[in-house]
Amino acid sequence: MAGAVLRAETAEEVAEAIGQARRQARGLEARGGATLLPRLGGAARPEPSEDADVLTLDGLSGVVDHPAADLTVTVRAGTPVAELASALAEAGQECPIEPLAGADGAPLGSTVGGRVSAALAGPRQLGAGRVRDWVLRVRYVTGEGRVAHAGGATVKDVTGYDLCRLLTGSWGTLAVLTEVTLKLRPRPPARAWYRTTRPPSAWWATLHDPAAIVTDAVGTSVLLEGHPDDVAEQADAAGLEESTPPTPPTGARAVVAPSRTDELVAAISELDCAWAAEPALGLVHLAGDATALEQARAQAERLDGRLLRLDGDAQAPVFGHDPGPDPYAGPLREALDPDAVLAPWRWSR
Amino acid sequence: MGATTDPTQRMQERGLLHAQERGLLHALEEIVGPQGLRTGAYGRAMYRRDASFLNAEPLAVAAPRTVEEAARVLRACRDHGVPFTPRAAGTGLAGGATPVGEDRRPLVISMARMDRIVEVDAAGRRAYVEPGAVNLRLGQAAARHGLRFAPDPASQIAATLGGNIATNAGGIHVLTYGVMSQHVLSVDVLDTDGVRHTLDGTLAEQGGLDVRGLTVGNEGTFGLVVGAWLRLLPVPPHTATLLAGFPSLTAAAEAVSAIVTGSRLPDAIELMDARAIHLVEDYAQAGYPSDAAAVLLVEHEGLTHGVEAGVAEAERLVRAHGASTVTRAADAAQRARIWKGRKAVAGAIAKVAPDYYLQDVVVPRSRLAEMLAEVVAIGEREDLTILNVLHAGDGNLHPFVAFDRREEGVLERVHRAGAAMVTTALSLGGSLTGEHGVGVEKRDFLCEVFGEDGLEVQRRVRRAMDPTGLANPHKVLPTPAGCAESAPSMVPTGAWV
Repeated sequence: MAGAVLRAETAEEVAEAIGQARRQARGLEARGGATLLPRLGGAARPEPSEDADVLTLDGLSGVVDHPAADLTVTVRAGTPVAELASALAEAGQECPIEPLAGADGAPLGSTVGGRVSAALAGPRQLGAGRVRDWVLRVRYVTGEGRVAHAGGATVKDVTGYDLCRLLTGSWGTLAVLTEVTLKLRPRPPARAWYRTTRPPSAWWATLHDPAAIVTDAVGTSVLLEGHPDDVAEQADAAGLEESTPPTPPTGARAVVAPSRTDELVAAISELDCAWAAEPALGLVHLAGDATALEQARAQAERLDGRLLRLDGDAQAPVFGHDPGPDPYAGPLREALDPDAVLAPWRWSR
Repeated sequence: MGATTDPTQRMQERGLLHAQERGLLHALEEIVGPQGLRTGAYGRAMYRRDASFLNAEPLAVAAPRTVEEAARVLRACRDHGVPFTPRAAGTGLAGGATPVGEDRRPLVISMARMDRIVEVDAAGRRAYVEPGAVNLRLGQAAARHGLRFAPDPASQIAATLGGNIATNAGGIHVLTYGVMSQHVLSVDVLDTDGVRHTLDGTLAEQGGLDVRGLTVGNEGTFGLVVGAWLRLLPVPPHTATLLAGFPSLTAAAEAVSAIVTGSRLPDAIELMDARAIHLVEDYAQAGYPSDAAAVLLVEHEGLTHGVEAGVAEAERLVRAHGASTVTRAADAAQRARIWKGRKAVAGAIAKVAPDYYLQDVVVPRSRLAEMLAEVVAIGEREDLTILNVLHAGDGNLHPFVAFDRREEGVLERVHRAGAAMVTTALSLGGSLTGEHGVGVEKRDFLCEVFGEDGLEVQRRVRRAMDPTGLANPHKVLPTPAGCAESAPSMVPTGAWV
């Protein structure tokens, strides 16, 4: 049976779509701005197919509440990240979870829901922490059609189990996010990218809390944020030159534990790949042909890491070739999505 | 849990349970040795409760020394069908470590003998700790490497890192550094079969489901945490601490909102009312102004210019909101005294009354003044002495209700006051616990907070993580009967205050 693009503008409509998929024993891929999923190619179902429908959430959009004095914002999942960013900028605030813009300029997840679902690391996670640490509350619909929420609109809430963190980075499995409340902070008064070709060991220790660091085969880019005088003094002390932001390759993203980044970079520089690394995050951005990227995958997996191909030709599921080493993933999926309706192709079948 | 209403059958079950209990105690003595097992009434007595005032009788107390022993203890519990309650320092305030069993007395598993800071990896800015290690000791160990551990609950002198993980604890510097979960890189947990799982959060992305994040804050209901890699941070090069005295509580609360919406978020903003100030000033000699109705403690950390700009802004804002005195800590010693006073409230409260009840509710920061006014009104209505201490920058209130339980009817009033604070916080768009956890005390409030579907998801998650139901039963989630009752009950069957 040919698949369909379903459209939901409310949580109840999301629940209806899920219910229909369950009755028809079809898979469902929740889609926001359709910027990320198509790049996963065969590893996702960005368009309707024989066994799967697409649930588009671009109509489930808009800022619900932005009490600036509380440093929080609540948005519907399909809200464009750009719309959120400009609303926050007006109040002198930000939520520093954006991924690095790649060489091709294409965003990796253009809606808030997509960004939280995929939780791809942005360069400012070095200073600002993970996406999961900025999510205060989620409203969601489980694979069983239960409409619920977790967390609260306050900066601290330990009521019940932390499903905010469980669902952040769950890639549309378990539940479909319908609304997200994020923690905010004031925008730093100064922000600038710098560049140096000296080895990081020569200057890294002189920096306190740099916002982002991206290295490549030639040199290193550093993002400094804060009081303008502090930024200038830090750059001066470390011998950094002001520059443009880095534009890393966008064919794939490999990730290992931060302490193993050097090993991964060493292995990848032997391959026919362009690369740029965020060493303190264990992240390596890559470009190359399919053979090179699969070789890079093998190297990342050898180091207990992962690789996500974004060249539209990825055949491997996001969560790896097998259910993974995590013995709880199966029971949790059974608990929230017992009929495996939501993006079951994230795990290989 | 298969409760049956046939009395004969129930008695048979009781008989069987007693036989199982005896068998378990034999097995435990073999595993943890006689030093690690307490079965007598006296040995058990101090494990009946945590820092809440809820009591329940444990079956026994077992204190494993190693992960292997802990795993064998869990397997013995499973084999004998006996539930268990993990416990470390017992500083929890919501009854999470009270061994509530209803029909089966749980075994308390004490982590007191697994208290090592195993490794400080200074280059990797992380440390591996056992659950019984005291929070403050990690800070001291990190300091030797120019590092620190950010989560700093006021109880850190006694509270353990395992307990901090169990509750997803917070502390004074949550405002910019985030809650415990943000500082847990990976956690080693034993499931109820005693199998060890490393729940790893070290991959920046693509790491699969964040079961690590789900497990932080589980309040002992998934199994037993036996170790964790925790994140350490560099000590900031510059720190400035401001102490501002206000003529009214409302003025102080309003200053908080102004500071939070300013151009630079402080790293800590704490508020104490006059009663709290008087209580600790003798002890801490921090220079708290004795005639103030409230003080704000504002701290900025980081690089010099940012810190100085932040402090100047904070000073301007507190003065604009009517601060009558503004003092800046002259040196590290004075700063330490200021914080010592703040962290000493719970310890010093015995000067006011022999017992206290500590509440932990959160409101959106802009509702702080309203909430504080309500807390004062609740205290007047119930004729109770309340000291207000707040992680004000987080909107997290910690009203201390000081009382003497020998006074007739006082516990009912304290309970009513606690419940009223929760309902008020919820009605202001807040939450019923910010960092102390749900435990037993607040579980029935979850019916209202989550609704039937949300609660069912929570129940399923718990079953997925512990299909046996043996891990710290009767905690966190309400019973269906609890949801049916009109007023949340804070004292379950088998427990007493």
